[in-house]
Formats: sequence, structure tokens, C-alpha cells
Amino acid sequence: MDYFRAVYVARELSPRALRLTTEALLRNPGNYTIWHFRRLVIDALDSDLVEETLFVDNLAEANSKNYQIWHHKRWLAEKLGPEAANDDHDFTRFILCHDAKNYHAWSHRQWVLQKLGGWDKELDFCHQLLEEDIFNNSAWNQRFFVITRSPLLGGLSAMWDSEVDYTIKAILQNPSNESPWRYLQGLYKGNPDSLITDERIPQLLLNILKENSYCVFAWNFLLDVLCKGLRPNKEIEEAVKGFTELDDAGSSDQDLPTRICSALERMDPIRVNYWAWRKSNLTL
Amino acid sequence: MEGPEPSEFAKERHAAFAEMMLHELPRDYASQEINRVTLAYFAVSSLSLLRSLHRVDKDQIATWVLSFQAKPKETHNVDDGKFFGFCGSRSCQFSEDSVQSVSNLASTYSALAILKVIGYDFQNFDSSIILESMRSLQMPDGSFMPIDSGAETDLRFVYCAAAISSMLNDWSGMDREKAKDYIINCQSYDGGFGLTAGSESHGGATYCAVAALFLMGFIQTDCNNSLSLPTSTIDIPSLVEWCIQRQGADGGFQGRANKDSDTCYAFWVGGVLKMLGLYHLVNKSALRTFLFTCQSPYGGFTKFPYEVLPDLYHSYYGFAALSLLDEKELGNLSVELGLAALN
Repeated sequence: MDYFRAVYVARELSPRALRLTTEALLRNPGNYTIWHFRRLVIDALDSDLVEETLFVDNLAEANSKNYQIWHHKRWLAEKLGPEAANDDHDFTRFILCHDAKNYHAWSHRQWVLQKLGGWDKELDFCHQLLEEDIFNNSAWNQRFFVITRSPLLGGLSAMWDSEVDYTIKAILQNPSNESPWRYLQGLYKGNPDSLITDERIPQLLLNILKENSYCVFAWNFLLDVLCKGLRPNKEIEEAVKGFTELDDAGSSDQDLPTRICSALERMDPIRVNYWAWRKSNLTL
Repeated sequence: MEGPEPSEFAKERHAAFAEMMLHELPRDYASQEINRVTLAYFAVSSLSLLRSLHRVDKDQIATWVLSFQAKPKETHNVDDGKFFGFCGSRSCQFSEDSVQSVSNLASTYSALAILKVIGYDFQNFDSSIILESMRSLQMPDGSFMPIDSGAETDLRFVYCAAAISSMLNDWSGMDREKAKDYIINCQSYDGGFGLTAGSESHGGATYCAVAALFLMGFIQTDCNNSLSLPTSTIDIPSLVEWCIQRQGADGGFQGRANKDSDTCYAFWVGGVLKMLGLYHLVNKSALRTFLFTCQSPYGGFTKFPYEVLPDLYHSYYGFAALSLLDEKELGNLSVELGLAALN
């Protein structure tokens, strides 16, 4: 470090200073002062940025959760410009192959998309990851990012209908998977009226509850749409009444949301306090 | 190995572990040397929560921490954009000309937190340069860089800035409205917060968001534990449900949907519920059971159940989580500052 301090204070922006930072960073890739100085040297020497990319990608592979390395990649990407976007996406794809939920890789990927582009294959990439693991919440998040921000897709309103169908299919594949339920909720956030008028919603919930009457996420979603104003059809009413037992203190006049909360208290014991609290807030 | 029952809090072992970590870190921590001051904060704050600060020399600690403070020359012009806080490690300090030293927001938070916890008298502490120079770290979108030479900007440093301002009781170092706007943009479609706008909801990011809003005065709870939000800020019901859903069947908290439960999220996510006045919604007995499966026989806590070797980070947040659960051997916590409650 003393050698480093010497060249740093002297502002020696030379090839040997570059080699020194290489040595230092291989030993301690977390030192942001050394990374900063390395950038000054690279600029001064007009170093080969493709070679630099190879250097930092090797380090990133070995230290995929190191903030400074990813920041350096960002700096390089900005200098290399949009032509390098696809190479950069190839690299994060490689990292995500080994760790499909690496937060740094996803953050970096989002930054490159917004700054430099390369959106055209992103939705397919999300789909591929979800095919490999439908439970991958990072991939669901990325999907939301793409459909709302990609300049190629027309935004949420254009994508909304097909995304609802996509998500419903995923939910039916595995109703105990939290991610698509949250995604579905997210899709309707910008369109709350349609949540209570879209026929697909009660249809989905009935389909699930017929096969799996203990699906907590389905009951949770039904509770939410009822609270938001869904007028339950006869089938929904019967499904709720048929399944939910009466509270000891309750009566047959209990409304549907109250019944559902009571059922959830029993079905989802980890969250028993939460469902009781939801129940107590229903009349507010 | 003989010792306390698995469901008993092994206070003495934990205090010995924290004290050992304060004096000397094992070689596995070498890659974290850049964060030395933060590691010391975990150790000192652990000892404080364990009511064991009498084990250490507070004056010595204060002197050590203050030695990391970066100071400008007298002729320094505060508009040149350089930040003068605390360095995180000797490797960022330049002994001959300390103006070259590179301080950062995270280690500034850690340093001030240590000083607060050991009861350092701030009366003669000149915080003006910290706050004045901190302004240069805030971006137009309200986020903060950790260092003046450029780095990633995200919610972690917004939190650090808010915590620093709160500890110094002076908000001249940041634009709170802009910071609030940045935080709001980080709330995801599922109610949690990501580290940046568009990022996946994450327990640590959610803590940073809510704690920062709290510290800045944008969220208050009244005596009935009702939340008041003066202007429309964040979607609280979705946030609450997101947090509650992080508690798994094993009783522990996960950091993101469909990931494994991990000790530290009992603090990050549990802490959010505590700040919102809703900690009573947590299944405390299940959480306690989970945490005790992460209690290491060597003292400290592990990341996951039934691992053996503890680490300092998970140990500190394990203690913090148990403090939220009113573990009798632990002191109270200031949740929004992430340290033992200051008297």
C-alpha cells in the first residue's frame, strides 16, 4: 500500500502505476481508492478498454458480490458505449447462469439497459429464466422492469393484457409460488378498476380453490379484491361459505372478508397475528 | 460441547466473541479490511446491546475512531466537492497529507455510531465540515454517492446520510425532500423496496428506505401506534404485507421472495415492522426458535441454521433481532439508527 500511496500522491499516471494497481486489486478488490486511481491512469494512458474489460470480468467472476468491481464495469460500459451493450449483457447472463439471483448482476443489467440499450432480447431472457425456475423472484422483477420500461414494447398498457394471461398461466402451474401472485397484483396497480371487473380474476381464483382449497395466496388475493370492491358472483360466495367454518363467536351473517380472514388465521399460522389484524381493520 | 441449552441465550459467549472481534479479526476478514471501522461498529454495538461495554476501554476506542477522521486544510474550499467524513480503513488514509484521505458515508455512519454508543461527548466535536461536505455527495435525483470520486448510488447511502444527520442533530447536510422522492421511487410493485428504482424488493433496502423516512420525519407513529404520513408517500398496506410475507414456515425472515431465511433479515425486516408500530404482527415464538438454530456454539450467530462458524455481521443483527424480541439479556435498540438505544 505504501507504493500505491506514493504513486497516488505523486499522481504518477504511468504503465507501471497501472501494473501496481493490478497487483493491489488482485489482493484487495474492495479498495475503492485504488479503483479510482486506476481509472485516472487508464484515461491518461488511453489504455485498451477491451483488455480492461477482460481484467475486470475475471475479477467480477471471482468476486461477484463486490460493489467496486461492478461500479468499474459501469464506468467501462459508459466509455465503450452502446456497441458494447450486448457484450455486457452476455457477461451478466454468464454470472446469472451460476447465480440466477445475484443482486449486483441484476442491478448492473438494468443500468446497462437503461443507459446503453440492448432491450430486444430481454423479455425472452426473463422467460428463459422463468422456464428454468418459475420461483425466481429476480426474474419476475426483471420482467416487470422490461414491460414497464422497454422502449420497444409500448409500456405497461400495451403489454398488460398478455402479461395477465402469462402470469395466470404461471400461477396455475404452481399456486404456492408467491412471485407471480405479487406480479399479478403489480399489473393491476395502474389499473385498479379492472381488478374488480376483469373476469379472469374470479375465474382464476375459483379454478385454484376448487383444486386446492388451502391455497393461502388465492384466499389472500380474494380477500384483497373483495376489499377493493369486487362484487362476488354466486360461485365465489358459495366457495367462501362452503369452505370457511363459522367462527365460534361468529354468525352466518358474517361477511365474506371476515370469513376469509378467520380461515387464513387457521391456514397460515405463521401469519396468524397479521390475519387477525386484517380482520379487525375490515370495518374501518 | 457443554454449554447453555439450545434455546438459551448464551450471553457470556456472545460477549466474549464480540470482544475478541473488536481486538483482532480472524484472517478470513482480510478481504473486508476496507470496512474496518464498520466491523468495529458491529463489535462495539454488540457489546453495548449485551450490556458488556465495561469489557472495553472506551477512551481507547474513541481515540482510535477519531484517528480515522479526514480533515481539510484550513484554506479548504468546501465547494470543491470533496467529502470530509471518516475513513473506513488505514488503507484509505495517507499519513503525510491527510487531505488525500478518502472518507466515505458508510464508515462515517459507523464511526459516529461507535462514538455515540460509547458515550463520547460531542460538545467539542466540530461536525460542520462533515455536514457541509456531505452535500456534495447528494445527486440531483436525491440519492447519495458514498465517496466523492464516484461510486454506485443507492438507498444504502441515503440511509447513511439520514442517520449521520440524525446523530449530529443537524439536517443542513442533505436535501430531505429530494431524498424522500428518491426513496419513494424505490418502492417496487410488490410493496417492498429495492436498492434503486426498478430493483428487486430486498429486506436491507426496505429497512434503509423506511428508517431514512423515519429519521427525516416523514413517517411518525402517534401514541395509538397509528401511522401518520403528512403527504402521500408510500403504499403502506403493500409494504406491511410484503414484510409479513417474508417470515417463512421455519420462523425466520427471508430477504427476498422465494429465498432462504437468514438471521439478519429478522432485524432488517422485523425492524421495519417495529418502526411502523406493527411488530406485534410477527410470529415471535417461531422467530425466536429460528434464531436459536443460528446461535453458534462459539458465540455469535450464523447466517443460516445449524452452521457452526459465526460471522460478525450476522452476530450483530442476531443480537439486534433478539433485542426486538425483548430478550432479557439484551439492552434496548434504537431501531432506526441501528444501534443500542441511547440514553
